[in-house]
Amino acid sequence: MSRFYFHQQIANGIIEDPDGTEAVDLTAARHEAILAARQLLANAILAGVAPLGTAFQITDEGGQVLLEVPFREALPPQFTKSD
Amino acid sequence: MTKFVTDGDVSVMYQMLHHLRTTPGVDGWKLAAFALRINEGRMPHPTQSFVRNGLLSVIDAAAYAAIGPHLEPVDLPKGTVLIEAGEPFMHAHFFNSGIGSIVVSTPDSQRVEAGIFGREGLSGFGSLLGVDQCPQTTMVQVEGEGYRVSIEALRSACQQSDSLRETLLRYVHVFITQTSYTSLSNVSQSVEGRLARWLLMCHDRVTCDDIALTHEFLSIMLAVQRPSVTTALHMIEGYGFIKTRRSNITIVDRDALIDFADGMYGTPEAEYRRLIGPFA
Repeated sequence: MSRFYFHQQIANGIIEDPDGTEAVDLTAARHEAILAARQLLANAILAGVAPLGTAFQITDEGGQVLLEVPFREALPPQFTKSD
Repeated sequence: MTKFVTDGDVSVMYQMLHHLRTTPGVDGWKLAAFALRINEGRMPHPTQSFVRNGLLSVIDAAAYAAIGPHLEPVDLPKGTVLIEAGEPFMHAHFFNSGIGSIVVSTPDSQRVEAGIFGREGLSGFGSLLGVDQCPQTTMVQVEGEGYRVSIEALRSACQQSDSLRETLLRYVHVFITQTSYTSLSNVSQSVEGRLARWLLMCHDRVTCDDIALTHEFLSIMLAVQRPSVTTALHMIEGYGFIKTRRSNITIVDRDALIDFADGMYGTPEAEYRRLIGPFA
């Protein structure tokens, strides 16, 4: 188990994750990030407002960015076509 | 031995005893000797003027006489399980401080909080309704102290005193009102609104404006993903109602937070004041 931090990119900065979360590996952490992004997008859609964030930066305890997960990746495929 | 110990003396001794019990490195024998001296002076249970629990302090003297002798002072460290789901009730706990939480879980351990209580209430009130166990778990979420009483003693005290039983049953009504509003809040409010309501309920039960809470803990209580809590805190802080530091939330503008909770906070608390007595 390692500790991963999900910092959220917003229009004018970053919402820092102060506590982090335990996950088996980066793949499991990415899965968590997708679930979290789905909920954040759903909350915004239900409230009829634009989501605050655009992506998660997953970092390790030292602050090293391991992976960026755009919220777009949490959407069903038909909403992500760029035509 | 003649005893010239007043209620006030006993209160002071209990305060000292509590202080000693929570002081690291205190010699166990000294503590035992001290406790014995309290016992020699008076019966070992707390006097009504000393208790801070909202239920125990509003009941009439006859009701207190029925329950008081059965109260044992206890510390309530964070994480203590007071009622285990599906296990027989052993003790009820009247809190003087701290926060207890009643939690339900799915078979795959997804948890949600059904309700909270602090010094206004007690754990194990299912026993007052004539049942011997329940499917919910009750645990200490913010450390505190209080009194425990065996279920048998609680039941017999309720048989002796109608007013005790009626007061405690009115509290059960208030608790049900709280869970009703939690349910309404869960289906009608945004995560920010639910969080605002929960912070107010927590603030009512602690003694200062700073509350030590991790985002992980809040995410379990509200049954949302942790980043939803982080984002909701960021938004509420942006409005100027709270300040957050690592694992710590400070309530800055309580009235604004109540407005923001949009009617979801306040009704159970008003029911408590109407039916029982001062709340928080």
